[in-house]
Amino acid sequence: MRLLHAVWTDMRFQWKHGFYLVYVLVTIIYLIILSFLPNDILSVGLPLVVFSDPSVLGLFFVGGIIMLEKMQGVLSVLVVSPLRTIEYILSKVVSLAFVSVLAAFAITGFSSYGSVSWLLLFLSTVLTSGIFTLCGIMITAGCNTVNQYIIKTVPYMLLFVLPCFSLTGFPYSDLFTVIPSVAALRLMLGAYMGIPLYEAISLVIYLTGMNYLFMRWAIRVFENKIIYQN
Amino acid sequence: MLQIIHLKNDLRQILRDPIMAILMVVPLLLIIAFKLMVLYLVPFIQALIEFDILPYLYYVFVFVVIMCASMLGIVTGFMMIDDRDGKISELMSVTPLGRNGYLINRLLFSSVLSVFYSILGYYVLNVVELPFVTILFVSLLSSNYSIIIGLLIFTFADDKVKGLAFAKAINSLTLFAFTDLLALKWLTVLSWFFPPYWITLVVQTPHTLLVYGLALLVNFGWLFLLIRHYRKK
Repeated sequence: MRLLHAVWTDMRFQWKHGFYLVYVLVTIIYLIILSFLPNDILSVGLPLVVFSDPSVLGLFFVGGIIMLEKMQGVLSVLVVSPLRTIEYILSKVVSLAFVSVLAAFAITGFSSYGSVSWLLLFLSTVLTSGIFTLCGIMITAGCNTVNQYIIKTVPYMLLFVLPCFSLTGFPYSDLFTVIPSVAALRLMLGAYMGIPLYEAISLVIYLTGMNYLFMRWAIRVFENKIIYQN
Repeated sequence: MLQIIHLKNDLRQILRDPIMAILMVVPLLLIIAFKLMVLYLVPFIQALIEFDILPYLYYVFVFVVIMCASMLGIVTGFMMIDDRDGKISELMSVTPLGRNGYLINRLLFSSVLSVFYSILGYYVLNVVELPFVTILFVSLLSSNYSIIIGLLIFTFADDKVKGLAFAKAINSLTLFAFTDLLALKWLTVLSWFFPPYWITLVVQTPHTLLVYGLALLVNFGWLFLLIRHYRKK
């Protein structure tokens, strides 16, 4: 119940700060651009757009959210409230994943793309969003300004984005699937282009496990650096 | 004199903070990345598709100019939000520098760098041939655009989170530089009211004076409205 309240509060906060409005605008712009792509390019372009923007929006926004809450003293109150760290972090992950899913579904639904596995699209967006939001929480723990945060996200982005090029295919490129972003992109491409069931299930299990690990790690970093300020 | 002392302090502050220093050189990395793209990716794409993309390469220059300006504007905008949160801008308003002096100081930095990176981008990318006056004019528009972005973020975002949402939305303005490619009449008409469109048009038609005039009108119109909003606040 506490978690639900926290998620609801975060969603209201995001609404108030214009996240939904911004993503309506971003979706419209993507739809305009995508409508000009021929079908063969759209089949690659659409998953890449959904993966590169809505799915990673958590990384972009969570830093600002936590820094603002730190500045407003919300985190000091959190320490003495019944809300546990895991619930606080989970509420950020869930609420930002909600925006991601809405944007991903809107971009896909309104584009002229043929058949899509909506369940896989949902799972891949949620799992990708979770990983990137949790990364953002870990990065923000050591930052005092948004500019610091932006620059510190760059190495993480490179670490996650560059291996994605392995999907173009070269010897042993499958090994890169251990990197969560590559696994997530593989799953997302599968949602649009089709994927064997066993591969989809194993990717979902792997990404869920990675989300769990990132969550434990984020909790530790958050408690050490933000709550106890070690 | 006061402005110069303050600018010197700003520069010292930026150089002392490695994060800020990195952010200021990020446009240089962007220019290098796009140069490499022009050198290696363009021939690769050209070999893959039959469509001739070479006549459209000037859009790369336009994109780099707009991205450098918006990056620097966003950095400046967040710098000013941080100053506001730390009550530094309030403190500045009671010094001889004043509220306007503070604003000029902060925005001057990104605008000068935008001019520098636009000119550098032109010569490094080398994808379009323009008269020197046009290069200077494009760099002026770029500098003005960075000021517009900085002011948009600072005056309309009450806090960091709204600033991030604004930054995300502002990036969408870049689309207006490429509406000619999309050939949608309504979108082109809409683009007339946004500064990025005019950067493209000046590069496309460097010998049409009317375009220069309209570009100035739109760009300084935005600047005027934003400064008026800042003063009213």
